[in-house]
Amino acid sequence: MTFELITGRYLAVTVEGVPRRIYVEEAGQGRPVLCLHTAGADTRQWRHLMNDPEITASNRLIAFDMPWHGKSLPPEGFEAQEYLLTTEAYVETVLAVIEGLGLDRPVLAGCSMGGRIALQLAALHPEKFSGFIAIEASDFQPAWYDIDWFHRPDAHGGEMGASLVSANISPHAPDAERWNTLWMFMQSGPGVFRGDLSFYTQDDSLIARLPDIDTSQTPVHILVGAYDLTCTPEDAARTARAIPGATLTVMDELGHFPMSEHPEGFRPFFVEALGKMPDTASKAA
Amino acid sequence: MIDTFKTIQSRLDATPHLLRIGRLFSETVLIDVDGAEYYLSFEKGRLVTIAPGPSRKTPWRFALRTDAEALRRFWQPRPEPGFHDIFGLVKIGRGRIDGDILSLVKNLRFFKEVLGLARETREVEA
Repeated sequence: MTFELITGRYLAVTVEGVPRRIYVEEAGQGRPVLCLHTAGADTRQWRHLMNDPEITASNRLIAFDMPWHGKSLPPEGFEAQEYLLTTEAYVETVLAVIEGLGLDRPVLAGCSMGGRIALQLAALHPEKFSGFIAIEASDFQPAWYDIDWFHRPDAHGGEMGASLVSANISPHAPDAERWNTLWMFMQSGPGVFRGDLSFYTQDDSLIARLPDIDTSQTPVHILVGAYDLTCTPEDAARTARAIPGATLTVMDELGHFPMSEHPEGFRPFFVEALGKMPDTASKAA
Repeated sequence: MIDTFKTIQSRLDATPHLLRIGRLFSETVLIDVDGAEYYLSFEKGRLVTIAPGPSRKTPWRFALRTDAEALRRFWQPRPEPGFHDIFGLVKIGRGRIDGDILSLVKNLRFFKEVLGLARETREVEA
């Protein structure tokens, strides 16, 4: 029997005054690195990096499913609620997980909406983190689609969402990982992708906060794939320019889900990004 | 261009998973290439008619308007950024989608994979 390096447990936290049961995975030891998944997906996007022994030899990679996603249940009474993620709830959730796990200033690595909230946290709560790796992250992205497409009684929102986001996957991605990436969107609960996109495409509060980020205290490294139609290299570059001291790398052969769609192609960029972050392993032990 | 659509037609007939995914798709799609119109009529997932335009009498559900060079680059084995997806063509200003977009989105996987069936041709030719 050969188990992977990843272990999963459930964490009880309270967000917006409501109990949440959060599914958390982790692998490795040393410097804590908290990893945030994209809209409409879950921790499985990070499994390749979490199963990388060289990375986990000195980094404790932790990923969790946002409420409503993956194995984290929606809150009690969800059947009568409209799920609409907000910056405030997202920030509170990430901080609650950090406190619940007792993490000491982790590196925060987030992709897409996870990258967006990473930059929000860099502006609003830098003291809680040692650095930020913002992947496919930008200040703001208006929708080039109608988010209501993805929550309808007459069609499968997950299948439509997967078909749409496939536009953001690089043709260099191996087929198997392209489809594993899309499967997560296909599995997404009714209205969840839409509720994530509501946050991602309608909240522009980050724009004014970017100049406040102090990269001398908490470095910010932005990674963006050339095949990302949602957060283009131009969007990421504009965002990096607005953050004094932020660094940017364009990944020529990758798309919007680099750690998931093309793990081997993304690995060197992630290792490089980790190298730019402070080594807090001794403090976090 | 007609030959390319005929290639798509024959490959679709030989692709069971696309016929299954498209089994509820019976619509006419307009492909506009540099102003030249091609009406692709699907019946239960099969491409049954490829009719060149112009035609003012052929109803269509949705249209993809683009140019031949953009399609040539779209059909490369590994297209450049922007040319790798129909929404990429729209994003970089080389394509436009008109009509009943919700019908397209409901059948998006089917339509994108059907259009991509010509990609293999280019790979063989390359």
